[in-house]
Amino acid sequence: MPIFQLHVNGVMRTVDVDGNMPLLWVLRDVLGLKGTKFGCGVAQCGACTVHLDGHAVRSCITDCGVAALAHITTIEGQSPQIQACQQAWIDLGVPQCGFCQPGQIMTASAMLKDIPNPTDEQIDAYMRGNICRCGTYPRIRAAIHQVAGNGSKS
Amino acid sequence: MSEFNRRDFLRITGVGTGAVVFSCYISPELALGQEKQSIGSILHEGISLLNPLKFVYLDPITGNMTIWAHRSEMGQGIKSTLAAVLVDEMEADWSRVTVKQADADAEAFGIAFPYAASLPKELPLDQSEPPIVRGEDAQFADSSRSMAAYFDAFRAFGAGVRMALSMAAARHFNVDLSQIEARQHKVSVKGGGRSVDYGDPRLLFHLNKLNEEKKLPPDTDAILAYRKPPSEWRYIGKQMPFIDAQDMVNGKAVYGADVEVPGGLLRAKMLTAMIVRCPVANGSLKSFNPEEAMKVPGVKHVVAVLPQGVFPGGVGAAFNPHAGVAVIAENTWAAWQGRRALVNNNSVQWDLGPHASYDSAAFRDEMKSSTSQPGKVMRNKGDVDAAFGSAAKTVEAHYHIPHLAQAPMEPPVAISVYDNGTWDIWAPSQGPELLQHYVGVALLEPNVVKQLVWNVEDRGAFTAAQVAAGDWQRQDDFNKTLAQALGVDEKTLLAMRDDLKKRVRSSVRVHVPLLGGGFGRKSKPDYAMEAAFLARQFPGTPIRVQWTREDDIKFSYYNAAAGQYWKAGLGGDGLPTALLWRGAATSFFGTLFPAGPDVFQKARQAFHNGGTDGYLSAIERAHGFEDMPYDVPNIRIENCVAKNHIRTGWMRSVANIYHAFATCSFADEMANAAGRDSKDYLLDLIGKGHRYRQKEFEDQGVKAYDNNLFPVEKRTYLLKGVEKLIIPQYPPDTRRLRAVVERVAQESGWNQKVQQYKGMKGRGLGIAAHRSFLSYVAIVADVSLNDKNELTVNEIWGVIDCGRAVNPDRVAAQMEGGIVYGLSYALLGEITCKNGAVEQNNFDDYPVARMNQVPRMIHTIVQDPPREVADEYDDKVVPPTGVGEPPTPAVAPAIANAIVAAGGPRIREIPFLRQVTVL
Repeated sequence: MPIFQLHVNGVMRTVDVDGNMPLLWVLRDVLGLKGTKFGCGVAQCGACTVHLDGHAVRSCITDCGVAALAHITTIEGQSPQIQACQQAWIDLGVPQCGFCQPGQIMTASAMLKDIPNPTDEQIDAYMRGNICRCGTYPRIRAAIHQVAGNGSKS
Repeated sequence: MSEFNRRDFLRITGVGTGAVVFSCYISPELALGQEKQSIGSILHEGISLLNPLKFVYLDPITGNMTIWAHRSEMGQGIKSTLAAVLVDEMEADWSRVTVKQADADAEAFGIAFPYAASLPKELPLDQSEPPIVRGEDAQFADSSRSMAAYFDAFRAFGAGVRMALSMAAARHFNVDLSQIEARQHKVSVKGGGRSVDYGDPRLLFHLNKLNEEKKLPPDTDAILAYRKPPSEWRYIGKQMPFIDAQDMVNGKAVYGADVEVPGGLLRAKMLTAMIVRCPVANGSLKSFNPEEAMKVPGVKHVVAVLPQGVFPGGVGAAFNPHAGVAVIAENTWAAWQGRRALVNNNSVQWDLGPHASYDSAAFRDEMKSSTSQPGKVMRNKGDVDAAFGSAAKTVEAHYHIPHLAQAPMEPPVAISVYDNGTWDIWAPSQGPELLQHYVGVALLEPNVVKQLVWNVEDRGAFTAAQVAAGDWQRQDDFNKTLAQALGVDEKTLLAMRDDLKKRVRSSVRVHVPLLGGGFGRKSKPDYAMEAAFLARQFPGTPIRVQWTREDDIKFSYYNAAAGQYWKAGLGGDGLPTALLWRGAATSFFGTLFPAGPDVFQKARQAFHNGGTDGYLSAIERAHGFEDMPYDVPNIRIENCVAKNHIRTGWMRSVANIYHAFATCSFADEMANAAGRDSKDYLLDLIGKGHRYRQKEFEDQGVKAYDNNLFPVEKRTYLLKGVEKLIIPQYPPDTRRLRAVVERVAQESGWNQKVQQYKGMKGRGLGIAAHRSFLSYVAIVADVSLNDKNELTVNEIWGVIDCGRAVNPDRVAAQMEGGIVYGLSYALLGEITCKNGAVEQNNFDDYPVARMNQVPRMIHTIVQDPPREVADEYDDKVVPPTGVGEPPTPAVAPAIANAIVAAGGPRIREIPFLRQVTVL
């Protein structure tokens, strides 16, 4: 099996895996980074969202070989936007079961990096790829607005 | 075990190590067995760190406390909420409390209401009141029952702990107990400044002394008097801590798939299994060829899941897994690739069994025919037929609700390791001891008739009220039938039961991580059974069974498909003089029990009054069917036949989903037929409101109204001429239903908006209200439907009356989430079957609500019950009731009604996307 060097959360990691193995399973099964969740396996739910060079991607359909070309950030990693989201999520009591929230935060933080003050339409456009079955959407929206420092905007 | 005293609610263990464990519980075995006089609470001698599953442990070195959360945390917040109730009443310092999730322990966690625990010894046993959730399923986080069943008990338990510590302080300072106050982990002499920490060794010394002097525990009445007045609560009814929030947002929270099996390097490395399952219920494995899967790098084993002789999952096979072949590999991806290789090469051959021709579209028509014929009369008032004859106008409608899958974000997953005849199982489970029961029995008792001994009960387990309702008669009938089938006497039967339970509980240990959502799916332990079967084949190796989303969608326990027929005769004033309701739905009891032979039907009837094959159980009938709330002089409610062809289970709010959709939609249909405002008409249907009485149900032919296990009337006993409360009343009360309707109309600005929208094209308001799990919810939906038939739900208002709101923010969160869940299945939800197999696969063809489909404004209001209702309770407060499920049922009909108001079609089927476009 090929050997890949992955730059994960600022640390270089070497893994020896099937080159088709999606990044999700490399993170979870090989590197033990279990904050990235498996929800659907076909990029329908967003639970597995991570950042590649700051952009949100679904790790369940991202080949390990592709990920090796970029800086990977997971929910265990750090960025000003990730930390701001985590705090807002706690402040507003967003999580219920919490399972999808790492993915929600990774998508939201990538959006906030590109669009510091998103409108509700922009939030819809970015966040519609992340499913929450507990139905925390209203609070996710409010938390994003809190991070952006604005009220609800359309 | 020590001497039991049924008047004691709290027991305290002072042991040589100095550790103090507080427990309060009733063991079902003790309640049922030879120590049946012991209902109450007990002292568990010799408890140490090795067996700390008794709610509260006070560490003798640090003085810190550990609380064991016995109910599973799946997003409803119960882990934090019940702990906060205890901490509040104990006056513990939250920063010195750790909350841990308890393992399955059926003997530890069934607690009665404190009043029930204080029953006098002389009271005949059959008048006593066992806990609402007995030890058998005290950990079963289902039916929105956690707070209703445990709030009062935990308040009293916490107060008892504080009282015991205060008594020890009084002894230490040599003052009267009245001179002692407890604040934030310290007990002090009032005004004097002298204080000791809860962990002070001197306090523990005096606790032990008090215990030796038999002054502990205090009696229940004294504990109840020691409870804090609500004005002194720190957490109850206020902002509460949220234990796992930090871990949830930083990725450290441990869900099912994240569990690391303890044992470190001494353990074999965990392997991951993926299973190809028979697509049809009850189908069996004919043969398989492992060759192609074994070629995949990392694949270690390819094996059949079910042992010889185990019935494949499906109809009447309870929680047995579907037949399957497991690919076991070094990691998830290898297992997945191996499974693909099996499927792609057609390596598995099935005998598809008796349900291979099931077609859900044909079933829909079948349900319509079924409800077009008379069914079994479940409730009758007046003379519906005569009233129809003299009605000014009749209205009728057929409704259909499809199979629905819960689809929690975390797909099912379970880990098991088998060593020396015992199993450890880690599974995100809503019912750890239910899991232990079913998995253990499947592992240890292959004979399906002998498995039924688990369900044997003796007369002592029944209260007078249950006997009157016929529960004991059904149980006795089953006991006798089973004894005969096994060729043993009833005494042997009880011994067999005790032996089976003992073997199961000593052989299967169940550990519970956080649940990534449950919604009823994780009440069913089929996935854990798969892991346990596989683990037995590879002793010493932990096996993780990982389900994919496709597995979750295709092998759920689906909420029932249902047909509902309503007919009304309207009088000259437009209000109904008669209502006929015929409902047919695939009962989940058809999954729990096979249709034959007779002993299984007897078992079904004895188990929660489960009804007969093709018909609803008492549980489902109490989900808005028998307790239909409209105040109409003539009512007939009939249950029509519906047979199962796939596994039926339950999904958030269960039978309320189909009952409320029909009931609340038909209210609006009648209002439209009468040319009236929907809200005003609904209030007229409800009438001025009244408290349903047990007798009223009985007079109308409802002999055993389930009421989510809670009594309709309060239960009391007479002690020296004084009436003492055992458990308060939880009646359906249409005054409360009326009040939430009035409030939601006010909050949504109903009257003004209805006027405003009259002149507008494509905008409308809809209203619906429903009682479920003892709580009352009213919903108003504001929708737009444009020229292209595209639906937008603009805004939703929801009002809930759940009695005392213990954790208001989590009540609001459950309202928001429950509304989204209801909107999701209403607009999008449908599972269909062809040739016996589920057609949907993943979130692309089983869509669920996304951010952009949910209203930006969801307003939730937590409302106190009307004063006149609260005044009927001893302490003038209505006790807490369900919150997790009640928000959901009224959402679908509120949206359907709004669509009509917006000029759209009357939608009588879920999902709405068949008739309107959902963007």
